[in-house]
This record gives sequence, C-alpha cells and structure tokens, in this order.
Amino acid sequence: MTSPLPWLSLQQLYFRRDERTILRDISLDFRETELILLTGQNGSGKTTLLRILSGLLKPQQARLVLEGRALSWRRSRPLLRRDICYLHQQPYLFDSSVEENIAYGLRRQRLPRKVIQDKVNQALQLISLQHLAGRNSRELSGGEKQRVAIARAWVLSPRLMLLDEPVASLDKRSRSRTYELMSELQQQGISVIYTSHEPQLGNLRLSRHIHLYQGELSHKPLAQPSTPDQPRESSRAGAGSG
Amino acid sequence: METLSAATYQAVYLLFTGDPALWTIIGISFSVSLRAIVYATPLALLTAFALAYLRFPGRRLLVSIFNTALSIPAVVVGLTLYILLSKAGPLGEWRLLFTQEAMIMGQFCLCFPLLVAMSHAALQSSDRRAWETALTLGASPLRAFLTLLHENRFGLVGAIVAGFGRIIAEVGSSMMLGGNILNYTRNIPTAIALETSKGSFAEGIALGLVLLVMALVLNILLGQMQGKGEVIQ
Repeated sequence: MTSPLPWLSLQQLYFRRDERTILRDISLDFRETELILLTGQNGSGKTTLLRILSGLLKPQQARLVLEGRALSWRRSRPLLRRDICYLHQQPYLFDSSVEENIAYGLRRQRLPRKVIQDKVNQALQLISLQHLAGRNSRELSGGEKQRVAIARAWVLSPRLMLLDEPVASLDKRSRSRTYELMSELQQQGISVIYTSHEPQLGNLRLSRHIHLYQGELSHKPLAQPSTPDQPRESSRAGAGSG
Repeated sequence: METLSAATYQAVYLLFTGDPALWTIIGISFSVSLRAIVYATPLALLTAFALAYLRFPGRRLLVSIFNTALSIPAVVVGLTLYILLSKAGPLGEWRLLFTQEAMIMGQFCLCFPLLVAMSHAALQSSDRRAWETALTLGASPLRAFLTLLHENRFGLVGAIVAGFGRIIAEVGSSMMLGGNILNYTRNIPTAIALETSKGSFAEGIALGLVLLVMALVLNILLGQMQGKGEVIQ
C-alpha cells in the first residue's frame, strides 16, 4: 500500500554537461514502498538521474521538497545520502571481507559492535551468503557481489535504493535471485528504482514504469509480471518499447 | 681489489660491533629522512587526490609542474634553500641553516613532487566507484578519502618507498643545508662523501651497505605486499 503523500519531490530538474542538456525539466515524486522501473536508451540520462538523486552529482537547477520542506541542493545532499543508497551498475566492493563490506556503512554510524554484528548477520541471512562471510569480496562471482552490495545498502535502512542495471551481465540464476531480493526489499518497506534497457522482467510487482527519452521523462503503462513458466521473450513483447 | 675486500671486511666489523660514530650517523640519517617523509606524505596525498579527483582551472599545469619537479637535482634544491635560509636571505631570521630542520626542508622539497606525481598516477588510474561508494554509504569526505587510500595502498606505499629512497640517499641538499656537522647533521650520504675524500673506505662501505640493505628490505616488503594484492584482485 503506497502512502498518498510523497516523502520526496524532485521538481524542474535540469542537468547539463559540456553545453549538452542531459536531463530536461524532470519532475518526480517518491512515495514509500514503491518499485519503479526506469528505462531508456544508452545515454538517455538514466544513470545521471540516479547519481543526482544519490547526491553524487549536482544539477544546474532543481527544486527539492523533502518531507514537505523545500530545501536547497546543498542542504538536501546530506539528507539524500542518509535516505538514499545508490548501487553502481557493477557494484564496487572494498578490498576486504564480505562481512567488513556489509559493516562499512554501519561503522560510519558509530553503532556498538554487537549491533553491527547482529545487523551484518541479518544481512548475510537475507542474501543467503552466510558461508562467505569471511571471504574477500574480490573473490566473489558477479551475482554474489551484487547481492553483497544490496545487503551493504540494506543494513543502513534506506528509504530508497537506486539500482543501476542490477541484472546486466548476470546469468539467469543470479538475475532471478536479484529480483527476489528486490522484491524482498519492497516488502520490507524500502522503495527501489532500478534501471534497465529491457522492460519489466521477472516476477516483480512494479509500482511505476518511467521512461527517459532524450533527457525527458514520461510514464509508461505497467506490463504484467511474467510467471516462472513464461518465456522472457513474451514479457518483452508484451511491455512495449523500452 | 685487496683494499676493497679488506675495507668491506672492516665495514662489516664496524657495523656488527656497534661502532657508536657509525650508528650515530645512521640514526641521524633515518631520523631526518623519516621526519621529512612523514611531513610530506599527508600533504602530497591530499594534493594528489585533488589533482586526480577534483576539477579546477590550472589542474593540468600543476600536474606538469610536479612532473617537471621530479627531475630537479638535489643540489639545486639545496642551493635555493641555502640562499633563502642564509643570513642575507629572506628566511635568514629563522636561523635554520646547518640544522637538521634545514635538511628536513630540503628533503621535503625533494620527495614532495615525487610523492605527488606517483600518488597522482595511482589515484588517477584508481576506480572512482570506491570514492563514490564510500560517500553513498554515509562516509564523510575525510573517511571516504581514507578508504580510497586504503583501496590504492599498493601504489601509494610504492610512492612513499620511492620518495624515502630518494631522500635517504641524496647528498647535495643535505651537504649544503646541514653542513655535515658531526653528531648533528652528518648523515649517511654526506658521511660517505667525506670518508671517501679522506681515503677511509671502510666507513663509506659500511654506510653504503646500510643503504643497500635498507633498499633491499623495503623492496622485498613492497613486493610481498603487492604480491598479496595481485592474488586477491
């Protein structure tokens, strides 16, 4: 059930780079527990939009309303970083154990060691990688890295997670596990925006499908979630152009 | 040849019997060079980070200046600082000439460009996602910077070792700024130059051996560290 009032509103966002307008007059509202698919061609500005939302990029123009309060970009950036976690297309894991990676953000919050350990254990359980807790993260497969990165963000209890092409370059099994994890995040009350070249895949219950074309945002009708028996091609065909 | 082997034998004897004069020189050398590298490293890492990660006017010019500064001879650095620190110089009132502090200043100037250039190269080629990931996980810019250093520690430690290697063995600026004063500013390279000019090769060889062993140990440690990193990556 989505709450009627958005906790975050982004209005009239413009982003230019090297005289080229990447994002043009973007306005978006975010409510609790949403799963939003963001599609668009290469270079359409998907990643730029996610990076702006996570506070990594500063737009030339934007109006931000957080919890009903209009904030300047400078003031809103720490709040965005508190509430929003961004995961790169290929997530970066630090050169340390899986456990240490998951605990990284928790340590920044100066939580007691016991609390950190408990949360790390919960996160490992969520991604079913308890057996790899002590392994160096660089030794993991692509799918495992993706799950560790999601768990590392999940322990920080963000309100919104931004996943940039979370299933690109993953095999079928890893894709399916990532979708399960995204679904689990939604059930736990975390909103998720994920980008994809492809329309809706897996068994995800999407709240919205937004599409970027030449820097402009539009809303698309939602495609039906595919069932496990349905071949992927049929869901692709049913979703219209991406 | 006979002279060389006899001098080498005597050099080893001096080292292992703990000759006080010899070990004082070694102590001064390490004390001065370690202080110089400790002072230079944090500033050099911050400069390298700024050059690699921030965009500001003149950035490319600064990179070129630091790369050019790599080839400045130690004696030119010594001469410049000598003029600045001499009584008639603008910094003459500091009365630093022929002190360990002056030697540290000289060595700082020598290793700083090297540290910046090598650290910049390491950070420039590093994965930017490390910095961004740390920030998105709630790290402060300082903590994210420390994380970035940790992620690139192999290249950065290599830069520090190279910087230390440059200053511990340099003779030009130490001689000019320290004055080669016994038990105060006489370090390994200036002592080698002096002993050799007097014809007492044993002390020179002993001190040279110390430098060689130090270089070997540092390189073995660095090699082992980098080896471990490669296995992981």
